[in-house]
Amino acid sequence: MQTKDHKVLVANRGEIAIRIVQACRKLGLAFTCVYTAEDAASGHVRIARELGGDKSLYRVSSYHDANELMAVADDAGATAVHPGYGFFAEDYRFARRVSQRDRKLIFIGPSWRVIRELGDKINTKRLARSLGVPTVPGSDRPIYDEMEAEKVAQSLFEFQEQQGIRKPLVLVKASAGGGGMGIEEVYDIDLFRSVYRRIRNYALRQFKDEGVLIEQRIRDFNHLEVQVVSDRSGRNPVHFGTRNCSIQSTGLQKRIEIAPGFDPSSIEYGFDAAQVLRDITQHSLAMARKVGYDNVGTWEWIVTRDGRPFLMEVNTRIQVENGVSATIARVRGQKGVDIIAEQIRIGLGEPLGYGQEDITFEGVGIEYRLIAEDPDNRFTPWVGRVDGFGWPERPWLAMHTHVPSDDPYDIPTEFDPNLALAIIWGKDLAEARERGVEFLDTLVLEGANNAGEPLRSNVRFLRDNTGRILKF
Amino acid sequence: MDTEKRTQHLAERLGYIRDVFGGKHNENIALLESKLQEFNLRLSEGSISDENAALTTLEDLFDFVERKLEAELTPMDKVRIVRHPQRICLRDILENVYDNYTEIGGKDEHSIDPSMLIARAYITRRSGKKTINQPVLVIGQEKGHGEEFRNGGSVKPWGNAKALQYMKVAETEGIPIHTYVFTPGSYPVEDYPGAAQQIARNLYEMAGLRVPVIAVFSEGGSGGAEAIGLSDRRLMLSHGYYSVISPEGAAAIEGRLRHGQRAAPELIEKCAQQLRITAEDNLRMGYIDHVVTEPPLGARPYHYDFFRGLRQEIIRATDEVILGVKGFAPFRAMVLRRRRGKAETMDLDNMYVRWSLSSSAKDRLVSRRHRKFNRLARNAARDRRPVLRKLSNMGWDAWWDIYSYFKYDLLRKHQQKIAYLVEEVEAEAQVLMEKVAAPWRKITCALPGGACQSSEQTERELTTLSDWDEEGQRNGNWSYVSPRAKEDRAITCPNADSHGCLDLWAPDLFGEFAGVCTYCGHHFPMEYQWYLHNVFDEGSIFEFNAEIEAGNPLGFEGFDVKLEQAKKQTGLKSGCVTFEARIDNVKLVVAMLVAPFRGGSVGAAEGEKFVQAAERAKKKRYPFLAYVHGTAGIRIQEGTNGVIQMPRCTMAVRRYIEAGGLYLVLYDTNSYAGPLASFLGCSPYQFSIRSANIGFAGPGVIKETTGVDIPPDYHRAYRALSRGHIQGIWDRRDARMNLKQALLTMGGRNLYYR
Amino acid sequence: MFDITQLLDEIKASPYEEIVVAAPHTGVVTFADVREGSRVIGPSGTWKEKKGTLLATIERERNQKPIHAVEKGEVKEVLRHLEGTFVEAGTPLVRLRHFLSKDEVLAIILKKALHLFVAPERAKYYFAPDVDKKVKASGASSVSLHEGMDLFIMSRMKREASLAYSGPSGVIYAVYFQHNENVDAGQPLIGVCPPDQLSLIEDVVARVQTEWEERE
Repeated sequence: MQTKDHKVLVANRGEIAIRIVQACRKLGLAFTCVYTAEDAASGHVRIARELGGDKSLYRVSSYHDANELMAVADDAGATAVHPGYGFFAEDYRFARRVSQRDRKLIFIGPSWRVIRELGDKINTKRLARSLGVPTVPGSDRPIYDEMEAEKVAQSLFEFQEQQGIRKPLVLVKASAGGGGMGIEEVYDIDLFRSVYRRIRNYALRQFKDEGVLIEQRIRDFNHLEVQVVSDRSGRNPVHFGTRNCSIQSTGLQKRIEIAPGFDPSSIEYGFDAAQVLRDITQHSLAMARKVGYDNVGTWEWIVTRDGRPFLMEVNTRIQVENGVSATIARVRGQKGVDIIAEQIRIGLGEPLGYGQEDITFEGVGIEYRLIAEDPDNRFTPWVGRVDGFGWPERPWLAMHTHVPSDDPYDIPTEFDPNLALAIIWGKDLAEARERGVEFLDTLVLEGANNAGEPLRSNVRFLRDNTGRILKF
Repeated sequence: MDTEKRTQHLAERLGYIRDVFGGKHNENIALLESKLQEFNLRLSEGSISDENAALTTLEDLFDFVERKLEAELTPMDKVRIVRHPQRICLRDILENVYDNYTEIGGKDEHSIDPSMLIARAYITRRSGKKTINQPVLVIGQEKGHGEEFRNGGSVKPWGNAKALQYMKVAETEGIPIHTYVFTPGSYPVEDYPGAAQQIARNLYEMAGLRVPVIAVFSEGGSGGAEAIGLSDRRLMLSHGYYSVISPEGAAAIEGRLRHGQRAAPELIEKCAQQLRITAEDNLRMGYIDHVVTEPPLGARPYHYDFFRGLRQEIIRATDEVILGVKGFAPFRAMVLRRRRGKAETMDLDNMYVRWSLSSSAKDRLVSRRHRKFNRLARNAARDRRPVLRKLSNMGWDAWWDIYSYFKYDLLRKHQQKIAYLVEEVEAEAQVLMEKVAAPWRKITCALPGGACQSSEQTERELTTLSDWDEEGQRNGNWSYVSPRAKEDRAITCPNADSHGCLDLWAPDLFGEFAGVCTYCGHHFPMEYQWYLHNVFDEGSIFEFNAEIEAGNPLGFEGFDVKLEQAKKQTGLKSGCVTFEARIDNVKLVVAMLVAPFRGGSVGAAEGEKFVQAAERAKKKRYPFLAYVHGTAGIRIQEGTNGVIQMPRCTMAVRRYIEAGGLYLVLYDTNSYAGPLASFLGCSPYQFSIRSANIGFAGPGVIKETTGVDIPPDYHRAYRALSRGHIQGIWDRRDARMNLKQALLTMGGRNLYYR
Repeated sequence: MFDITQLLDEIKASPYEEIVVAAPHTGVVTFADVREGSRVIGPSGTWKEKKGTLLATIERERNQKPIHAVEKGEVKEVLRHLEGTFVEAGTPLVRLRHFLSKDEVLAIILKKALHLFVAPERAKYYFAPDVDKKVKASGASSVSLHEGMDLFIMSRMKREASLAYSGPSGVIYAVYFQHNENVDAGQPLIGVCPPDQLSLIEDVVARVQTEWEERE
């Protein structure tokens, strides 16, 4: 089957759905979108109506119901499914169902075995260690025995003291958990037992597994990522550079992402930043090769103040911030890299067609996440209507949004109140920062809620933080 | 007696005959009717010269016709006799058979359960010139000639509990128990103590009662009968019935009727016939020891001769049991033996047998009772094991007895003593060493490269790959995958409306999720193979007694074909699979009731296999697990051959538990009726997978017998837990882990790994 | 205050409500044997365990899902042109004309009589844990309210905030929100009955009980 004959079901909403549709059009592929009753005003619905062909838009009961997606795919004649991010993106069962059902579809993402393997915290950590990839000090298997747990915690405290860490912390987490649930910090070994028991009981209740992981809690770090791309052969993964995502909300949600991850050319670091970036990309690719990684993915790292990187986890999906890597990347010197389009193309089975040596980087990219929220009040989401939304077009600016700029838009309460992603490019860090501030200053974003209170957004927060980007 | 009373009495006899034959033998009835009418007419005209003579003639005619019809009685007629309000009831027996009685815990409707009557009674006998009152405890269902509040003798769980309480009293006081079975079946409510669970408790306790128990069956309706029917001597009234199910119930099942529909009378009649429910049938099969003859067309309250006969029989039975286990009484035993079968001229009132037993006689009594039941129904199953194998098995059994004794009793005791001693010494030494070494260790640690762990080693431990035996981490990779997991389709959870569960994909649901809804935790039933492969250690299963096959001991029409079908469909020979297996290397014996084989119903073969499995576990000192994939109850087509498995298996279980084993029961899908009311319900460790429905009777039966609507979740495992019927509910995916835990922490002293 | 007689008369003048039975999700529709004018019933049985009249089945991923009537009424329209076609979620399939039941009439009138506590924002609402325990154990009417007590948890955008009650003291007489469903801003969440109005409310209930005749 030719790539062009495929039809892609866009199993997502909002901004990412729009970008997938755009990528499909770039590749000349047909597509089908879905939406729910709450989400009827979303931009992706509009774009599907405008640009879609026959059977290109369906109302479904829920984005979370895989059966809806399968049923729509069959009725629309879709041959592939793009999960976007969130929802089913890292659900290996969904990927497995898609590829094993009677009417098979292509899952545009890594194969389900890879998702399962890297979706498991312990598995990933053990894989990393088996390849000599640095991971956070601590256990790499679930611990069931209280004595053993205490011993690990004890040596973690000692280890940190030897490292000269003044207030060592140990993290106890349910090995079967995820998403920040069932995690607690311990600052004193005497308190360890009670915390351990609490977490163990929580894990037993919640996940039916008593196992806990005990790790060093690293506090002072930068959050870095490596963008990996690999075709279905799984043999030749390449990277599209690094990103720095250290500027986050209090709830540890990313707000500003910058590519590349450090800028040793303009900023002094207390360690060899270039070497760290080289190390984490090489480690990431080594792991990708080992598991036969066969689509796009992100290796997440933390880098301590003394320049030690530790692998955190692997995100087996396209990420929100993929565009910021694309904006500084050049393939054979060409601009206009689109990682989502590449994902679809290789996902459908085409070979990547170029190697690491063909990929170069130029300048600095900044991505702002524009969100209706109140940064002064623990980033509480704001709900209401957006009346005015506009910005001057710039050659160095790319806006990704599902919010219409010519119509008022009610923010649905079902989802996070993300409004847009703004990606800014500058030839160096200084220029990128300057342009970022310029963009934020000229942005129009107005609205009001039922009570008549004006829209709250994180624009000020983004502007205030632009000054400190890439500094460590 | 005056004429009016006598004619009235004849009218009652006529009505009785009419009721009993339910529309048959109309010409005889018409004859009696016309003669009676004629007599009445002439009486009112005053044209009878000698009223007395005429009446006597008429009475003789009635007697004649009754005797004639007696020969024509069908099993269903006997069922109607037993159900008739004119049928004798327990109160009549207390009045006429015993010399004195005091009802305990009840006066008419003022009783915790008026259907269960308990009385202290005595029988007066003479020994030479002495008069001796021999106390007994009388327990039985009271139908009260149709009194509404007696509930037809259908006893509620608390009624059976009361019966058990007083059996224990009799045991304490050392007096015999006489039970009278007058019940169509137990009242199927689940309220504590629960119909099934209470009967099970009764059976378990009766299996070990250290006083003689004599049972007399008039109406032996299945589980309700067993609740007081496990005894050393089982007598039966000649016009009674003893059956696994009412003929109507059997007809409903045979005719595959939905509830509310009525079965045709012919079908009911045929079922009554096929179920072999009469006294002769049960005597022939061995489930009854002796039949007490009733007057033609059954005993009614005015049959005083009958009561006299019954008194003799009941005394004789008690004497026989007592003398059978007493050390010395050759003459009296001879008297009893000789008089058996002779003309009814004996008078046991004039022979005295002391109804109390020494401790060793009590032991013999109980073990005789166990042997008696263990022998029953052995021929009702088809044992295809070759003779040689049977013999070698017997030899093997004997060897295991000896081996176990040496290994666990003799050696173990000495070993343990030595082990304890060594432990103590070690602990002492440890403390001493600690004290001596502590200062030294401090010094060495302070030195570079000292004996304590180096920091590089700590770092290596914390940052490099550790050894991890991943075995046991299934992560949804089950060894057996249901065939339903091969279909590409979505499944709706039954709780979807209330819990908002999304449809699940069958391969996920029946594969990785092990049949558990990931949204609400609802357990879809799974195949028994799932448990075989995912609960026990890989390849550890070794089946035994596979050759014992379910048969058709009653020759129930059409059942051979159905049985063959079941065998072909399941590839099994009976509904009970017994095997040895291991869970995390702990060996155990398992008896599994398999739902797809005739609903997991229990007949003679299943019972025999269960008993043998319990015996095997006892010999080898293995834990014993009854895994109930599902059971619909006793297999009705085997009649009392099936019912008798209730006491039989319960007794086997009791022997096992008393030998110090661990008897675990695990319910999985629908588990109902007889087995639950006996050998399953008596376990102190009954657990349930979340998918189980547990109860005495299914919803349809409850609706039909009680007329009460029951909520849809009436039998769910959680309700059973709330009622105190089971001890815990397990997630299917944790069954192995929980069983492992149970094996290590529960049960008696005599397990091989303790 | 309101005039209950007038209200009842108004409802009696138009005692019907249209119920639209829509596809719960996508799938291929097959209508059951119902036609315009025929009577349907809602769930019945002591525990409402028997489903209402079968209206249609919708098949998705080889899973047949029956769609039953949730209220009694008369079939006004069957959108028969959808037979055998793949429909989107929420597509109307059958319209029913439902004669208001006593309880429903009562609910309408009570909405006017009670003090309504409304949702401040579109969100999902849950009773606060303490309250929830009480509601589950002995019913909503066992909860007595006073100004400022923590009553609800308001959940939106994956974040939860607690919501305090404001209004007159009293007991919860009616609950208008459903578990796990969004409530629009301004919609009532609960109806509160202050103690001094209890007798008035009981009058209303009695009036409806006697004056409203149930009809098929």
